[in-house]
Amino acid sequence: MSRTGRRRLHLGRQRLRLAVACGATALIVGLLGVFWYNSRLPASYSVMDMGHAEYGGGPIGSMPHDGHDGHAGGEEPAADGAASAVPALTADQGGAPDVEMTLVARAERFQPPSGDWVDGYTLNGQSPGPVLRVTAGELVQVRLENESVAEGVTLHWHGLELPNADDGVAGVTQDAVAIGAEHTYRFVADQPGTFWYHSHQLSHEQVRRGVLGALVVLPQQATSPDADPPDADPADADVVALVHRYGGKSTVNGHRDDLRIPAAPNQRVRVRVINTENGPMSAWVGGASFRLVAVDGRDLHEPTLLEGTAVLVTAGGRADLEVTMPTDGSGVRVQLGGSAVVLGPASAEAAEVPRPAETVDLLSYGTPADLGIDWGTPDRRFDYDIGRRPGFLDGRPGMWWTINGRLYPEVPAYMVAEGDIVVVHIANHSGEVHPMHLHGHHAVVLRRDGEPATGSPWWVDSLNVSDGESYDLGFVATNPGIWMYHCHNLPHASEGLVAHLMYEGVTTPFVLGGPAGNEPE
Amino acid sequence: MRTVYKVLAYVVAAEVVIQAMAMVFAVAGLGKWVEDGGVLDQSVMESEDSVFPEVVGFVIHGMNGMMVIPAVALILLVVSFFAKFPGAVKWAGLVLLLVALQITLGLLGHEIPALGALHGLNALLLFSAAVYSARRVPPTAGAAATGSEARIRASA
Repeated sequence: MSRTGRRRLHLGRQRLRLAVACGATALIVGLLGVFWYNSRLPASYSVMDMGHAEYGGGPIGSMPHDGHDGHAGGEEPAADGAASAVPALTADQGGAPDVEMTLVARAERFQPPSGDWVDGYTLNGQSPGPVLRVTAGELVQVRLENESVAEGVTLHWHGLELPNADDGVAGVTQDAVAIGAEHTYRFVADQPGTFWYHSHQLSHEQVRRGVLGALVVLPQQATSPDADPPDADPADADVVALVHRYGGKSTVNGHRDDLRIPAAPNQRVRVRVINTENGPMSAWVGGASFRLVAVDGRDLHEPTLLEGTAVLVTAGGRADLEVTMPTDGSGVRVQLGGSAVVLGPASAEAAEVPRPAETVDLLSYGTPADLGIDWGTPDRRFDYDIGRRPGFLDGRPGMWWTINGRLYPEVPAYMVAEGDIVVVHIANHSGEVHPMHLHGHHAVVLRRDGEPATGSPWWVDSLNVSDGESYDLGFVATNPGIWMYHCHNLPHASEGLVAHLMYEGVTTPFVLGGPAGNEPE
Repeated sequence: MRTVYKVLAYVVAAEVVIQAMAMVFAVAGLGKWVEDGGVLDQSVMESEDSVFPEVVGFVIHGMNGMMVIPAVALILLVVSFFAKFPGAVKWAGLVLLLVALQITLGLLGHEIPALGALHGLNALLLFSAAVYSARRVPPTAGAAATGSEARIRASA
């Protein structure tokens, strides 16, 4: 080949190579650009339009969820006219409240009882906020005032099955309460048990930094001598043990040192453990045997005596431990992860004990009770499958959680009608544990990894789903509204591990983002 | 472009070194914290607070590994298209592949700790591949200056 011919061939090859290089670059950059562009969230959007509706084999009916064909469900009532907006879903019949309280939220530097200075948020100048102790059946009225929380604040009543309007989720059931504004929650607390309240506006930030408190609903005392003897003996002690980490240090009710509670020999003490953290916590008892009498505000049926066994309390979950004090006046240590409650006379010692190797398995703890519900033929059957994959979330690249294979906001809206019997199969393949919290309902555990539950009915609002585990949960749809169903590892929720349970005909006028800056996670 | 290629390949290698250092730093800090009475449980692991100062090592490891290194490796691949020396794309592709494998092994190590051991092994492979890729870049100035014959040889 001649010299010019070689040069021409060479130039041709060079051009071809450049073109291929440019093409390959454009393909890579273009694809990433498209993924990035498509993942961006609008400045304001409604949960009604988000993701895709799943009907679980039930009738589609006149449900207004129309995410895919672009109808703004929030503005378009269902055809049969049965649509109701979230703010109307209230049990408020007017009347004077039995319990009235004002909670003032402030952004400030404060000292929890542990003494460490924390840059965070307080309610009425303190964190944890005041313990709300009410009696079942009482009408509770809480006025939330925001004095200085710039991003706005709400209160969610974790575990209580309240009417939807009082659920306290920014952008779903209300707008975040701006500085200078207020919001009043009025509800009847009708289920005795251990609950807690916390902000559901930027919750991954506000809960960690202090907008939280304990809520205890005590059972009604029997009023006539003919009635069953009351469960709570006045001689019993009742202790709230809210576990929270301030500035990285584990505390009980804000105390870093052992929380000492006086208790006499033979006295029964109920320790209401509340895990406000983002990961599961172990609780165990040294110096006495105990019963696990309630989980997530629901009593267990015929709980047996436990010794040398730990209890796993998932993030957001509660566990009530009943301890009978030893007759010899010695102390009892209730260890809650890195902090502890010590029960007994002031002088009593209670040595630290290592965590027992065994953990009580609630699938077989206690004895069964008939719930009168046939879970075998549910009206709807949903899958909540948690995974993880690389992608973009609102323009940010990373490894993000998926629900049924899709990234937020392409998350399921589980559509139900009032009265439906619902079974949810929740499975976790994401490599990490997820404490899954369903708002407004309790669900009963039917099976774990296919193995049927044989113990006490195990009702949960916050369920620890470890990696590789699957659960079948059953609940009856009796509380109309739009309810979050999300991971209570709150940073995970802010990373998109959020779905919604939506009732037929319910719409919400509130939007995520928008003028109120609603960001529930 | 060859210089950019070389620098990026060395950056990947240096990042692997940082990853190893950050991890040992964090684990050592954790050990000291536990010896000083700290209690480690899941809620600590999920906590966003830094319970001991060396926890920053875990944060660096995660952010570097999931964001910075894949981004650098991807840019290396794009640069390799224009680097015009034999094997440029092949080796940049291998580096990116090893990065993807490294992330996968790292995440799966949470479930199957033995894969965490392979994560450690693969780190050395990635380091070697990145250093080798950088070292095999032919000198830029020489190739460009000595006329078409040299260029033809280089691209052959």
